[in-house]
Amino acid sequence: MSQIVEQLKSLLGADNVITKDMTKYLRGGEQPAAVACPGTGEEVAALVKAAADAGVKVNVGGAVVDTTGLSGGIAVVMKRMNKILEIDRNNLTCWVQPGMPHKEFCDALLKEGLYFPPEPYAVSTSSVAGCIGIGDPDSKAFKYMPPRTYIIAYEMVLPTGEPMKIGSKCIKCVSGLDLIHFIAGTRATLGIFTKILVKLQPAPVCRSIVLADLPNITTAAKAFLSIQKRRLFVSRENAITNKLGQHIWSGAKGAVAFVDIEEFPKANVEYAKIVEAELKIAGATATKIISDEKEYASAELGWLKAREAVNLTDKKVRFTVGASNVVKGLDAAKGVVGALEDGEFALIEAQLGKVTVASANPEADAVKLNKAAMPLGGNVSGLLGSKLRCDEYSDQAMFDNITQLLHNIRKEFDPKGILAPGIQF
Amino acid sequence: MTVAQKTDQNTLVEALINIAGEQDVVTGRVAMYAYGYDATLLFGVPRAVVFPESTQEVVDIVNYCRSTGVNIVPRGAGTNESGGTIPVDNCIIMNCCRMKKILEVDLDNYVAIIEPGVVNYDIQEMLAKYGYYYPPDPASYKASTMGGNVGECSGGPKCFKYGVTRDYIYGMEFVTSDGKVRWVGGRDYCSEPFYDITRMMCGSEGTLGYMTKFAIRIEPIPAAKRTMLAFYNEPVDAAQSVADIVAAGIVPTTLEMMDNLIINTAEDATGAGLPRDAGAMLIIEVDGPAYGDLDDQVKTITEVVKKANPKQFKIATTAAEVDACWLARRVAIGSVAHRAPSYSMQDITVPRSEFPQAVAGIVQTSKDYDLDIGILAHAGDGNFHPLVLFDQRNAEQSERVHKAEAALVKLALDLGGTMSGEHGVGLLKKPLLPNEYAPVTIDAFRKIKRAFDPINRMNPTKIFDL
Repeated sequence: MSQIVEQLKSLLGADNVITKDMTKYLRGGEQPAAVACPGTGEEVAALVKAAADAGVKVNVGGAVVDTTGLSGGIAVVMKRMNKILEIDRNNLTCWVQPGMPHKEFCDALLKEGLYFPPEPYAVSTSSVAGCIGIGDPDSKAFKYMPPRTYIIAYEMVLPTGEPMKIGSKCIKCVSGLDLIHFIAGTRATLGIFTKILVKLQPAPVCRSIVLADLPNITTAAKAFLSIQKRRLFVSRENAITNKLGQHIWSGAKGAVAFVDIEEFPKANVEYAKIVEAELKIAGATATKIISDEKEYASAELGWLKAREAVNLTDKKVRFTVGASNVVKGLDAAKGVVGALEDGEFALIEAQLGKVTVASANPEADAVKLNKAAMPLGGNVSGLLGSKLRCDEYSDQAMFDNITQLLHNIRKEFDPKGILAPGIQF
Repeated sequence: MTVAQKTDQNTLVEALINIAGEQDVVTGRVAMYAYGYDATLLFGVPRAVVFPESTQEVVDIVNYCRSTGVNIVPRGAGTNESGGTIPVDNCIIMNCCRMKKILEVDLDNYVAIIEPGVVNYDIQEMLAKYGYYYPPDPASYKASTMGGNVGECSGGPKCFKYGVTRDYIYGMEFVTSDGKVRWVGGRDYCSEPFYDITRMMCGSEGTLGYMTKFAIRIEPIPAAKRTMLAFYNEPVDAAQSVADIVAAGIVPTTLEMMDNLIINTAEDATGAGLPRDAGAMLIIEVDGPAYGDLDDQVKTITEVVKKANPKQFKIATTAAEVDACWLARRVAIGSVAHRAPSYSMQDITVPRSEFPQAVAGIVQTSKDYDLDIGILAHAGDGNFHPLVLFDQRNAEQSERVHKAEAALVKLALDLGGTMSGEHGVGLLKKPLLPNEYAPVTIDAFRKIKRAFDPINRMNPTKIFDL
């Protein structure tokens, strides 16, 4: 193992290969041989090639790397590749390095009057590459579409060490198979980003947040349903139980509703009034309409911190139901995990029909919640959800077929099984 | 079994009839001829055309074809512009047109479950009754099937604001060449089984599997819209308006451009009173909530357009005037039949900032190859449809057309663009694929193909060779 570390030192420079005090770069219980911090695409290619030749596992992160399965391997931290390379206003695109912190990226663009809608997965550590790599449909996805929509080109190092480039500044491309959007959510199993081109939007002309302090999260869900029935679609329509809600509204007595409105000025004002009225009708004990830029930024950051806390814990179950069935989804969750207000958290992203609840026993609860969610037009999210859906139909063959396809794809790209060892299908 | 040991034709037809029924298998000479074409000028001959009516029939046909070495070419209405449904050697056409049920429409949850043979227009018409719609609407939407739309990842005039087909498919059921059925995704954005298989299937031109059901995202029709029509002296002036509108922070639903040649062919066809001396026409449409912001946007757009000294600028105030604005665009492609018996349509796409250079390049290509080329463009997307007019019976002219096609693709690539924004590669552009991608990228496409279809049975030889 010391051989690969020495090799990396010669490739990246000794200062960029860390073998002591690695803790701050790592998440998980296993210990890699080194943390490597490449500074260029060429260095990433050389690093991956060396690891592939030596049969050493590699995982990557913007600031922090998951060490599952990485014992004795290489944790690649992209902290040196953290710059905006080009903002193209005429085409509304931006070339960015993978390690650019996501929030910093969004803020820098806003200063230029430009907008990258996807939310950071974990606001304190997430990078732009992490946003695409995880591909989580965030709470703005109903209005703005999921993160995959925003990647239009990239450069990547394949698990063999070969660099690959695809895409252009065109917002439409169907030339060849769609490896551009498919790459979102692949979590570094098929390659490591070295450069990403995202499409942008003009910054919203007007933004407001409506906050409400509600007796419980179900009352928020009822208000959201009324808002949707009025065919009023906002940027974010979220609510969270009291404990994590404190990030957004310190001192709130109950659940906190967080409704973000990004419209042109007249619609913005009217939407805010309607949203506030519906929240009051549902039982809000206090409301706020925030339009001031600084207050907006503060409330948004609070929401992102709450989102981070939810995303980073394993003790949860995330499931979807139809957007009109969120109240029923919460009722079902109560039946499985107990009173939602008593738990660590319960979160709804209502337009997406997404419900996340804290669970002491996620595996068992996921089975029950999936069973409850399916008649409501949803299911537990991700691969686990696919499995549970197949189980409900007693169709093990279907799930085997799905996982076989996932294995086929991964094996084609990474025949030696080098990248992202913590990801298992 | 090798191709040299082809299954006997009678045995093949009998097997297909046993699976799908006599009424769903076509083998007559006339039918074989009809299904030998798509919207390109390419041609091939299938061994039979089969119209499965259920997923199980698809599975049975796929299993039979696998065991006998027969290739499968999926097809919808055959409106594609890439040669993607042209029959290949030793193939049957598997046509989705009789799997045309709308299985479920859930308005409250913004999702519908449909079969691949549903025509785009039919789902639009049905949803419109309830004030809903499905945003992607390719020009062929009155004829093209959803199976074809997903297979090609169709675009249309609304892409700039609303995106393309891939953005509206929540999940799907499909059958791969091993006869296995998979449902991937769900009724929302959160249900893909780790890899986003749905996205990979979109635009794969039937090379990875045969799609049998879709969950599509539907939306309420926006409360208000405004439609404007501008005529300019030169296409470059229209391009300037496009850039200025976007720079003003407005994301229009539509920015459709036609050049002088197409304005004239459309006027020939409609007599709508279009100014024949205009160098370009631009349709601009914005939509959104009905609280008066659209009027402000119209005001901004009016100022922006006036900066480019238009010959005419109209704001439609009635539904009839909106229809009048769209009439020329809707007839544009068909209208060129007045000028020439054949046309070749490309869909090169460039970064929006390169729009003027692309227009100049198309005009130059027209001169270089002595061919009439009209320009239609989804200007907000930088997506051009140069229509090369010619007579297919004239071999020398046809040869020049092929050279012009290659020159147009080179033009787009030299401007940092792509050879296909929404039509796909198929057979037509396959030889040009290496001009856009390095070998390592095309090899990555092959990895995907091998993962889905290692025996290369689904629409083989399309896009790239395995």
